[in-house]
Amino acid sequence: MKLPAFRSFGATLWGIGLFLVVLGGTAPWIPAFLLTVLIQLLIFATLAYSMNLITGLTGYVSFGHVVFMAFGGYALAFGVGTLNLHPVAGVAFGAVVGLALALGIGLVTLRFRGVYFAIATLVVAVAALYIVLEIKELGDGQGIYLSLRFEPLSWFYTIWVILAIEVVLTYWITHGRIGYGIRSIKSDEDAAKTVGINAARVKLFLFALSGLFAGGAGGVYYWTLSGVFPYQAFDLIFSLQMLAMIVIGGMGTLLGPLIGAVAVYIPSYIFLTVLSGFQFIIIGIVVIVIALFVPEGIVGSLRKYIPELRGVLE
Amino acid sequence: MADAALFVTDLALGLLLGCVFAVIAHGLNLIWGVAKVVNVAHGEFIMLGAYGAYFFNVWFGFNPLLSVPIDAAIGLGVGVIFYFFFLFRELRGKESMGPQSEMVTLVATFGLALVLINLAQALWTGNNVGIPWSPGVVQIGSVQLPLGGLYVAITSVAIIGLSHVFLSKTYLGNAIRAYSQDIPATQLVGINPTSTAAIGTALGFCITMAGGALLTVWLPTGIYPAMGNLYAPISFVIVVLGGPGKMWGSLVGGLTLGVIIDVGQLFVGGSIALATAIGFLILIPVLLFRPEGILR
Amino acid sequence: MTRVLEVSDVHKYFGGVRAVQGVSLTVREGQVVGLIGPNGSGKSTLLNLIAGVEKPTKGAITLDGQRIDRWPAHRIVGQGIAKTHQIPKPFLAMTCRENVAVAVMFGNHKQRQSAKAFDEAGRVLALVGLERKADMMSSNLTVQERKRLEFARVLGTGARILLLDEIFAGLSPEELRAAIALFTKLQRETGFGAVVVEHVMRAVLTLSERVVVIEEGMKIAEGTANEVVEDPAVIEAYLGVEAARATP
Ligand SMILES: Nc1ncnc2c1ncn2[C@@H]1O[C@H](COP(=O)(O)OP(=O)(O)O)[C@@H](O)[C@H]1O
Ligand SMILES: [Mg+2]
Repeated sequence: MKLPAFRSFGATLWGIGLFLVVLGGTAPWIPAFLLTVLIQLLIFATLAYSMNLITGLTGYVSFGHVVFMAFGGYALAFGVGTLNLHPVAGVAFGAVVGLALALGIGLVTLRFRGVYFAIATLVVAVAALYIVLEIKELGDGQGIYLSLRFEPLSWFYTIWVILAIEVVLTYWITHGRIGYGIRSIKSDEDAAKTVGINAARVKLFLFALSGLFAGGAGGVYYWTLSGVFPYQAFDLIFSLQMLAMIVIGGMGTLLGPLIGAVAVYIPSYIFLTVLSGFQFIIIGIVVIVIALFVPEGIVGSLRKYIPELRGVLE
Repeated sequence: MADAALFVTDLALGLLLGCVFAVIAHGLNLIWGVAKVVNVAHGEFIMLGAYGAYFFNVWFGFNPLLSVPIDAAIGLGVGVIFYFFFLFRELRGKESMGPQSEMVTLVATFGLALVLINLAQALWTGNNVGIPWSPGVVQIGSVQLPLGGLYVAITSVAIIGLSHVFLSKTYLGNAIRAYSQDIPATQLVGINPTSTAAIGTALGFCITMAGGALLTVWLPTGIYPAMGNLYAPISFVIVVLGGPGKMWGSLVGGLTLGVIIDVGQLFVGGSIALATAIGFLILIPVLLFRPEGILR
Repeated sequence: MTRVLEVSDVHKYFGGVRAVQGVSLTVREGQVVGLIGPNGSGKSTLLNLIAGVEKPTKGAITLDGQRIDRWPAHRIVGQGIAKTHQIPKPFLAMTCRENVAVAVMFGNHKQRQSAKAFDEAGRVLALVGLERKADMMSSNLTVQERKRLEFARVLGTGARILLLDEIFAGLSPEELRAAIALFTKLQRETGFGAVVVEHVMRAVLTLSERVVVIEEGMKIAEGTANEVVEDPAVIEAYLGVEAARATP
């Protein structure tokens, strides 16, 4: 398929691009403590875009995304610790593992709709923890501790590249012919099939991509933590945070996941130093209110209520 | 293959445990039937039920069984509030819940789960607590069973049986069943859909929270804010095993899962973790090949 | 080459419900076959079986001699067989033009260039008289307009054999006449084949070269329109039901 003409990329993609370029260009001069915050932000943004690829674009609510992230981390830890890979190669390995898992899990679970898909992914996530606890090569239930150096710039540029690729891919997917296929599936999957869309393949493609990026993000995340431990890594709170970000930012939009990541992560970070756990109460309340009263999220409602923005904001 | 005595003991324990699982799943099943969507925060209401029993023990010295009716009463109130807050807008005037509403409810109740877990953590710390209550054991042949677990199992079956009687023998119960099957038809026969659905939801919460209290007997130190992350998936799996909307499905599903976990570990080298994983993953083949549940 | 769709002795059971029990029929490109029968006789189920939305419990469906009854729905559309939904299912979050453009992009045409797909969609919408609503959200359409959109989407896929489920239902006599005229004109021009399901007989009888009558999932008659209306089994079963409905 041909890419659309360069100039017609749209203001939103340009805006995100500009944001990333400025961040990337100034990173070496950003003080380390601020940089580590930004790294976490980019990791969460990558996870949010990953969730957006499946849940935002097709409406299939996945509670199991933590699995891809956790296995991305385990792949990194195994690759670096046992196979002596460079951490960046470990991250790539994590992404591939995420992709492979998503293909396997998606092949089965994407046959289920709505509630059943959500439950199936949740159950897979819980079961995955119990399985990992029993695998010797993955730390035998104790996790894997690595002694990696503190190198924020390497972390930063790795996740930066991953996020940039992910945003461009999201744009490309949603703007071509396949974008119409995806919108049809979200709108009415049965009708989509009867106009010739191979819904199973489109969904699996999105889910696999989603696993790829969540795996990569997980790799970077556990690189920054220099190790991965089962109970934390499989904590469902990660899935829930990804979901919260796209709900708040606006499901299926191009800018929404980034806004959502900022809206969820930055307050979390601030509250973390004040009163741990309290941030989730607020995030939870915000999610409830948005889901019930503004289901379009921030970006969706801006588009809905300010018609002038429709041309530029997506 | 493990020896026979161990097998019989694990089978008996699995069945006893399965009865409690059945109750917490039964609560979910009722809510599912009425709302056509799962309550993602289901595990958190089990958690609240368990903490209820814990505090009634700390304050009044009640044993978990005495807390069951109190939790149940609280659950009724909570259920009505839940219905009007989370379900009413999505179900009102509709034939069934559409995909959009389904997603709204999934996401909103997940937000609720987040709030409840962290609120519990803020109020009661993240530490594990438990209720010191052990009425001893009973010897049946070569098998030794915990009396507490036996009382719980009897209460569990009684709760499910009572709800069955209520749903099939009373006007209100029949209205709830009719609503679960066909919302428009309910209106045609002159049943008020809103109050029927509210009562159905309340009943579901009532049973869920009672189940939380019963569960504590099995958890000498297992009450903590995030415990729902385990018991919600257990309930989901059971409902699917037994078949959503089937009244005895929860019991059959609960017993099946209890046995898979307790007996299953004998076959996977004594690993309760692997047995639990298998118990969860059984959901997938059931959904694939028997989406209506293992019961006909 | 004209395509031939052959349904031989198909059955479909939903648990205990025997929706279709051994129906056979043949349609070729350029030919319109009517399928009538009382409510619940299995007409929609039969179309779903042909379209691959449901899989038959028993029996074979072939296109030009090739078995297609285990194919997924999208693949059947790719072979030029497309179906409307009895209860219209437009993509509510899209405009009418987008609805049809999707069909052009993914149906039998597989038009990969969006711009061309949109042009074609506009043309098809004009054919069914929805040109003035082309850029309206499909959620704003009336039920009758939605049915037309269903029809437009099927045309948009470039199907050569159309499966039309009660697209004429609910029209007033004048509207019905106009719709039939439009259908006949389109059919002559493009030469597609069709299975036209109708629960009211009149539309089908004027349109169809051949008519198949089913009752309780079984074929009770087949022939030209005139033959069928005079068939005692049809009068008994079909008209009897109609008459019974008229005087409850
Ligand atoms: N998905 C389904 N599950 C169970 N029964 C069905 C299903 N679809 C159709 N039926 C039943 O099959 C019979 C035929 O239905 P249908 O094909 O819609 O009839 P028609 O289109 O001729 O009115 C009816 O009894 C209907 O209730
Ligand atoms: Mg029909």
